[in-house]
Amino acid sequence: MLELFIAQLKWSSIQYRRYASEAIGGVIALTATFYGLFLSASYIGGGGVQFGDRLDSVIVGYVLWSLVIFIMGGIPGTLQREAQVGTLEQLFISPFNATQILLFRAIGDLIIQTFLISIVLFVIMLTTGRWLSFSPALILPFISVVLGAYGIAFAAGGLALIFKSIQQLLGIFNFALLFLLTIPTESWSGTQKLLGWILPMTTGAGLLRDLMARSQSLNLSLLGLALANGLIYFAIGITLFRWAERETKRRGKLAGY
Amino acid sequence: MHVLEVQSLQKSYRSSGKVVEAVRDVSFSISAQEVLAFLGPNGAGKTTTIKMIAGLIVPDRGSVDIAGRDPHRNSRALRSLGAVLEGNRNIYWRLTPEENLEYFGVLRGLSGRVARQRARGLLDRFELSHKRKTTVQTLSRGMQQKLAIAVALIHEPQLLLLDEPTLGLDVEATQTVKQLVREIAQEGRAILLTTHQLDLAEELSDRVAIINKGKIVAQENTADLIRQFSGMVYQIELEEEINRSFLEVLGRERVANLQSLGAILDGDRIYVRETELLYQALEILNPLAIARIEKDQANLTDIFLKFIREEHHA
Ligand SMILES: Nc1ncnc2c1ncn2[C@@H]1O[C@H](COP(=O)(O)OP(=O)(O)OP(=O)(O)O)[C@@H](O)[C@H]1O
Ligand SMILES: [Mg+2]
Repeated sequence: MLELFIAQLKWSSIQYRRYASEAIGGVIALTATFYGLFLSASYIGGGGVQFGDRLDSVIVGYVLWSLVIFIMGGIPGTLQREAQVGTLEQLFISPFNATQILLFRAIGDLIIQTFLISIVLFVIMLTTGRWLSFSPALILPFISVVLGAYGIAFAAGGLALIFKSIQQLLGIFNFALLFLLTIPTESWSGTQKLLGWILPMTTGAGLLRDLMARSQSLNLSLLGLALANGLIYFAIGITLFRWAERETKRRGKLAGY
Repeated sequence: MHVLEVQSLQKSYRSSGKVVEAVRDVSFSISAQEVLAFLGPNGAGKTTTIKMIAGLIVPDRGSVDIAGRDPHRNSRALRSLGAVLEGNRNIYWRLTPEENLEYFGVLRGLSGRVARQRARGLLDRFELSHKRKTTVQTLSRGMQQKLAIAVALIHEPQLLLLDEPTLGLDVEATQTVKQLVREIAQEGRAILLTTHQLDLAEELSDRVAIINKGKIVAQENTADLIRQFSGMVYQIELEEEINRSFLEVLGRERVANLQSLGAILDGDRIYVRETELLYQALEILNPLAIARIEKDQANLTDIFLKFIREEHHA
């Protein structure tokens, strides 16, 4: 297990290092966005997820938003790429199940992406001289959102196996994401509140808003709810993916385009 | 002991309203050290069968047993299996040979340390050490295919599946792959090989199974099959003489005697059906100069075509 994780991490880092020219576009866009946020922190109007107008809130919102998009596209992207280059079936001929391999690869990619974001942020803080501080309490709600995102990524991966091409669908997903991460469910009540707890990632995002913009302390029962929500969506995603994997193997279309 | 046992495999596909019966009641087994050539025309169901063995396609019916385990129920069965699938992209073109071997080694259940050790050994053995740090996309097609086979062997599986491993290779690379397949079988592994190069199958295989339209139409020891189809026909060729035709050389009496043996005279050759008759024919021909006597050998191509056509008429 650990060996597999290390091998996946190594695999991801080789891809990034060797094809730095492809990753560089992403890094430039990231740098430009952060730089823009730093320069104009007080006038942020649209775009991204708003956690208030303090710079650190805006940055956390943007990082969350971009990481969740990165995660959701990751697993279907891997499946489509591997099918195109013809290595997908070799991933399935393994004593480890495909879900585990894909998850480890997705986590490997996430670690590298987070690492890149951290470096870019650090460099910008160094050059602008404005230092941000983040509370370590952010990490738990963050994890709940990431879990939900992985669940959706696996569900999308299942769709990618069955329908092969799902670019348009991912576009819709990204749009829905904007809604999920920004609706202020914390101000809802009654059955609406219940709905807020059921929607994926929403509770975790609300908690982050509480922490950052409203400077409230961490609400433990809400955190429990957010983590449970994340875990349930993760489990649903994995289950859907397993079903899609089996169905694709039944149709003989694992590699087929 | 059988390494692979396939029993009554069945698979139909539904595509655009039509049902294609791709594999119908296919059974066979392969032992250690044995090469089974799995032959059939395009669309016969070879790849479908191979992927059912590798756990990549779920069969409608039937069972697969690899070293005592069913790959569809127990993923540990896949530890005993290596596969080079149809097409030329079983490995990562963006990685180097060394990185491919190490990554797939861990993916097949080895520890990183063992994978590294085995990778070094395989690179040496497959004469790829000098290329171990260049990316696969810049290697020749032959080297890529050698690497794909090496990667399939990294976890030392008992069973190796090779789906058209020589497709698109030049003569020399084909020879190399042939030599490798032979060595790998001698190490004690069981090999299932599909190919459209029947001369290759004839040289490499211990047994052949011929599949047509999803059904196995022949399954036999390769040498026996060839012997069986070669029959007992001998071909006698006389030394040529200038200025005299074949019939003149023989003379009318000899021709009549040969014909009474049931021999056939065709052009400048004499065909005799049995060993016993061969000696009688030679006596008749005595003392004419003989250039060649040869036993007619069927080859796998003739046999293959015969089975496929027979099915076609039936
Ligand atoms: N996923 C699929 N969906 C529908 N039909 C399929 C699928 N895969 C294969 N077939 C059909 O099943 C039959 C068997 O195909 P298969 O690929 O197993 O043949 P093959 O013996 O490997 O042929 P070749 O020598 O061309 O590689 C063919 O008629 C093919 O068109
Ligand atoms: Mg095929």
